[in-house]
Amino acid sequence: MNAVTHTVEPTGIGPVEVTVAEYGSGQPFLLLHGGAGPQSVAGFAEKFAATHEVRVLVPTHPGFGGTARPEALDSIAGLAALYQGLLEQLDLADVTVIGNSIGGWITAEIALLKSPRVSGIVLIDAVGIEVPGHPVADFFALTMQEVFARSFHDPEKFSIDPATLPPAAQAIAAGNRAAIAVYAGSAMAEPTLRERLGTLEIPALVLWGQSDGIVDVDYGRAYAAAIPMAQFQLLPATGHSPQMETPDQVLHAIWDSATTDFSAFTR
Amino acid sequence: MAKTAVTRITHSCHLIEIGGRTFLTDPWFSTRPGYYQGEPIAVAIPDLPRLDGVLISHEHYDHCDLDAFAAYRDRSVPLFVAETVVGTARGHGFTNVTALAPWEQAEVGGVTITAAPGKHGVYEVTFVLRAGSDAVYFAGDTMFIPELAEIPKRLGHISLALLPTNGLHIRPADNMQVVMNADEAAELTAILKPELAVPHHYAFTKGFLGDRLITHSDKNPLHFQDASRTLAPETSVRIVEPGIRIEL
Repeated sequence: MNAVTHTVEPTGIGPVEVTVAEYGSGQPFLLLHGGAGPQSVAGFAEKFAATHEVRVLVPTHPGFGGTARPEALDSIAGLAALYQGLLEQLDLADVTVIGNSIGGWITAEIALLKSPRVSGIVLIDAVGIEVPGHPVADFFALTMQEVFARSFHDPEKFSIDPATLPPAAQAIAAGNRAAIAVYAGSAMAEPTLRERLGTLEIPALVLWGQSDGIVDVDYGRAYAAAIPMAQFQLLPATGHSPQMETPDQVLHAIWDSATTDFSAFTR
Repeated sequence: MAKTAVTRITHSCHLIEIGGRTFLTDPWFSTRPGYYQGEPIAVAIPDLPRLDGVLISHEHYDHCDLDAFAAYRDRSVPLFVAETVVGTARGHGFTNVTALAPWEQAEVGGVTITAAPGKHGVYEVTFVLRAGSDAVYFAGDTMFIPELAEIPKRLGHISLALLPTNGLHIRPADNMQVVMNADEAAELTAILKPELAVPHHYAFTKGFLGDRLITHSDKNPLHFQDASRTLAPETSVRIVEPGIRIEL
């Protein structure tokens, strides 16, 4: 892994410093983390690059992981513009953008910018749309133990007591929480996104943990149904962070999607 | 007499020189999300030579990129197109647009342009350009259909054939095939009996995920060359990189 800080100037925001961890070489992927921070996708990126000829770029959204966030960068759309600028700066082509949770919402907004550099998207338990009767769980109203319980099929393997973290890690966690509030708010949805997704013309893979307690499976089906060329796939024994809990299922779903019989998965 | 020659620009976009005239086929000069040439675009629009005509087989973006081609310096250049392209061509400001149905003909400066049948996901025609004893067949991205066997019977000997070879299938449409494959292109070569055949329409990609979820295609033009050795041994098959000019 190699981490580089890039300075990108998205329109209307000004210069933004973004730290990007990079794994492997080959077919390019941009992998976007959710509210759980960059470490929630780092292991997956490492595994992906170790087993396939891929170049996986993992940015830390400014404000997460103890990094600085410019005041003007205060929305999911702003992050999407930032990462489109990064792809331009790195002159990448045929990029597949993968995002989990809030990272999936950023991914959807990047796709809607319709850059030819982005050829496909993978949404993993993404938030961002409004689905009547299926609200995104209110992260800010939950205790961390409740968040863990809702985030994993088997929370025992992943739960930690935040009070036992060293002060530096607690400060980073507090920063992450503040960044989530700025970028996504407590609703974690944007009212126009669902309809706008209907204009997408690139292929999309929508992967959903069957045990997700943050955004339920019907919400995921609605997400896939909103995108004209989306395929939906349920991941058994998996919660809200499949790339952490069942990374092999996620890798198989992406790499071997040509041989998946999607008719087996009810939309 | 001027030599008959072809320069591949990219995909199915070629410059064809015949009878001292220059024609462009199926213009594609840009990229969009999910539509990639998979090979260079060898000539930019400002660098195109003066064109005597443009042939457009059907309206799909990768064959009819008029948003980009409208930047060509002369929009009174004669366009010979499938009838489904007429509206969009005029809408892009091209003033000299002629629809040709199969077996209809037009003439430009001593070169006869004849439309030939085609079959694809949408209405498509293919074209034969003839000047004297030389004739070039441009097959767009048609399927291999029995009507194509009529070409030599109706239009005489073909000298050079430009043929698609990727056998493109559309996965969400019950894996429907919409373009001839390498074996079928070799079968057509055996029927047309040209001195030279050049494959095109093989490097195209819809990107990492699109090639998995939307399309399935054969990206190796050597399969056509191999099949032609067996089925059409009298024809020389050349795999031509974009930007390389080859003479008959």
